[in-house]
Amino acid sequence: MKTRFLFIIIVTVSLILSACGGGGGGAATVRVGWAGSPDTLNPGMAILVEAYTIFELVYDSMYELNLDGSFTLTLAESVEVSDDGLVYTYKIRDGIKWHDGKPLTAEDIAFTYNLYKDTPEYPYLNGYYTPYFDSIKADGNNVILTLTEAIPNIESQLVFLYVLPKHIWEKVDKLEFENFEMVGSGPFKMAEYVQNEFVRLTANKDHFSSPPKVDEVVFQTFENQDALVQAIKTGQLDMVTEMPNTAAETLRAEDNIEVVVGAPLAPGVTDIIFNQVAPENCPTDAGGLCTGHPALRDRDVRLAMAHATDKQKLIDLILLGLGNSGLTLIPDGLGVWYNDALKDYEFDVATANQILDDAGYKDTDNDGVREMPDGTQPLNFRLNWPSDSINAPRMAELLSEMWAKIGITLELQAVDPDALTAQCCPAFDFDIMIWGWASDPDPSALLYVYTTEAIPSGSSETGYSNPAYDELYAEQQTTLDFDARKDIVWEMQKIVHDDVVYIIPFYDANVQAYRTDRFTGWITDQAKVELSDVTSLIVIEPVK
Amino acid sequence: MNRTRAFLKKTAWSLFTIIFVIILNFFLFRVLPGDPARAGIRDPRLKKEAIEMLRVRFGLDKPVINCFESLNPIEVGSCAINPLDTQFFIYVRNLMQGELGISYHTNRPVADILAERLWNTVLLIGAGQILSIVFGVVFGIFAAWKARTSVDYAAVTTSLIAWSLPTFWLGIILLFWGSTHGFPLAGKATPGMSSMPLLQQWGDIARHMFLPTLTYTIVYMGEYTLIMRSSLMDVLSEDYILTAKAKGLSTFQILKDHALKNAMLPLVTVIAINLGFTVAGAIQIEAVFSWPGLGSAIYEAVVRRDFPILQGAFLLIAVAVILANLIADLTYNFLDPRVQTE
Repeated sequence: MKTRFLFIIIVTVSLILSACGGGGGGAATVRVGWAGSPDTLNPGMAILVEAYTIFELVYDSMYELNLDGSFTLTLAESVEVSDDGLVYTYKIRDGIKWHDGKPLTAEDIAFTYNLYKDTPEYPYLNGYYTPYFDSIKADGNNVILTLTEAIPNIESQLVFLYVLPKHIWEKVDKLEFENFEMVGSGPFKMAEYVQNEFVRLTANKDHFSSPPKVDEVVFQTFENQDALVQAIKTGQLDMVTEMPNTAAETLRAEDNIEVVVGAPLAPGVTDIIFNQVAPENCPTDAGGLCTGHPALRDRDVRLAMAHATDKQKLIDLILLGLGNSGLTLIPDGLGVWYNDALKDYEFDVATANQILDDAGYKDTDNDGVREMPDGTQPLNFRLNWPSDSINAPRMAELLSEMWAKIGITLELQAVDPDALTAQCCPAFDFDIMIWGWASDPDPSALLYVYTTEAIPSGSSETGYSNPAYDELYAEQQTTLDFDARKDIVWEMQKIVHDDVVYIIPFYDANVQAYRTDRFTGWITDQAKVELSDVTSLIVIEPVK
Repeated sequence: MNRTRAFLKKTAWSLFTIIFVIILNFFLFRVLPGDPARAGIRDPRLKKEAIEMLRVRFGLDKPVINCFESLNPIEVGSCAINPLDTQFFIYVRNLMQGELGISYHTNRPVADILAERLWNTVLLIGAGQILSIVFGVVFGIFAAWKARTSVDYAAVTTSLIAWSLPTFWLGIILLFWGSTHGFPLAGKATPGMSSMPLLQQWGDIARHMFLPTLTYTIVYMGEYTLIMRSSLMDVLSEDYILTAKAKGLSTFQILKDHALKNAMLPLVTVIAINLGFTVAGAIQIEAVFSWPGLGSAIYEAVVRRDFPILQGAFLLIAVAVILANLIADLTYNFLDPRVQTE
């Protein structure tokens, strides 16, 4: 019995020793560390950003999204739009091949778009991107896309509709298909996928527009962010897509590591949500309870709170300085859509107190907390946040301190994210919440959140309602002229900023790092920073 | 006769426990707040129809059980419906057919996911268990044999410290140490290894296993050492050992032929129970070293509200623990004839 154990130990040790020194070989392999893993490789069913990162590399779509927010035609060499803006005719390039060698044709594209359109179970690709599709046909080399109405943002509708090979997808169950062997046409080919461990991609050197210069990219999942940081420090990784902000300082001090900070590909917004739903707008049919504090329906109270919020302090203490002060739900990472002409409310406690005094919110019983003008309720608000948030508890504490200076007190409580969703919308069973959004390349989705129409649907978190704003929202959806639409979008941001619908403490930054001694050419000078995006991975080269 | 009856009785109890777990497992997740079809998706443009389709696909549109549409919030529904068309009986029926459902989050069959993860966990924890048992028993014997000498005190102190170390803390310390000695910090294998010769693949896995196994071994070795030591010291104080000494047997012979077999009894119990929990994995170790085992699968499923995975994993763990206990019981019968007559 004992000898057998001994044998096992010896075998184990000898295996360890024999493996030392084994490794990658001569290929130029980019080793990327990330904290997640794709949920599924079936593009229709995927939700997580990690899955989309892989799709971007392995598939092509009609348009490529550049880091400056603009779009480039990829699969098609040209596009013609009919005068009424309803019919798009894409002329598909010749000679594009799938990774298995078969040619990619207009048939494939039409098949894919119809697949997305006809599969209502696909949460994003159907409900989200195809509602304007009327019909899609292949005609020789052309794909003819007919819309139900003319829209200004066809690029952002098509950019995430990854084109799939018809010869594979017509034979599979479109919901159950796991797609582990992903056959695409993009700059990288799927080589090996082990769920929750790694994704290994090899370069498609024959890609029609952007053949990569490296041979392989490997995405390795780390469940432990300390290990992730340690791995790039010791050279086990060449790039990390995320890390705690606390690690940025340590990594900056390292010789061969460069830390980059910028807006993420899907720019994120952290928001302080005020329940301001008016009693007549309460969506009782959809389960609305509308228990919000009446003071929050008063713009003066929200304005005073905005003046009393020291955003710079929040950024410095919570994000360690790695973030930008925010204005509305439209983040600065959206480039031209972001209204940078707006002026934020100055941090000034005296002004804030003056506003509340003038509006009649006085501390009548001298307990340090102001009361409503009619003397009934004190300005004591419930503040909730999702319990899985890392930053929100600290922000709640800081807000509680800041707003105490203007006679407003808070009851702080973290709530399970699902329970918070139930409390939020369309129930409106809260006073103030801390939450966030991630943005599309097009501003329309987040602009919708402010509309009256969104109140019963559960998308509106504030219950804000402004007919002038609603009209502009409808107008921008059908304004085809880019500059005219931009002016409307800017005007809409001005309206909601003036009305202090939210306080946006900051726009979240993407903090990434790469090793300078392994690969050069990472793209870091754009409005958005995403080193794992195809734009970087096709241009980087091994250090000689 | 007696032995068969005892065996049947114990097996029956185990089966009963498993059925209880199956029922509890189902309702436990249904009383949690929140809608699994909405977890992870919060998007203004997502159509209600898409969410409804997801609910239909996962069977969430059906009433939980007769008289109840949902359990949180409690919604009373019609009692006069076909019970076979409720979530509960569909769940039981699928289970009977060996189907654990489809993971909400990854859209893959739960059985596939659990099988991959189970193998990884068994590999890691199995190696850790074997090593910690071997070292624990050896150190325990040494400590008992050299009782109340400096060897004993050193062994006891080390074991106590090792046993009380927080697993995740020890793991992180070893991870930092290992990172500067060329040990991989995450996963089970180096990507691209699958095309290498088999021996090299095993070597690669062994290299990945080294740090987590070491962590596991250090912590559990302490436990086994202490149990082995105290149990052996009990036995060594028995009269028959004195007799053996009087017969002039060497210390080695006394330990080997007379003391060890009896002293192993308590250890067998602990090992059996620990083996049951082996399946649950060591969540902390798996999280620190990103080991793709069952423990990390459970953790992810909790975060994502992936009920089918949780139900499957809990059932698997329950069955493993119950089986391990059954085996421990039966082994006891075999090792210790006294148990059987009671």
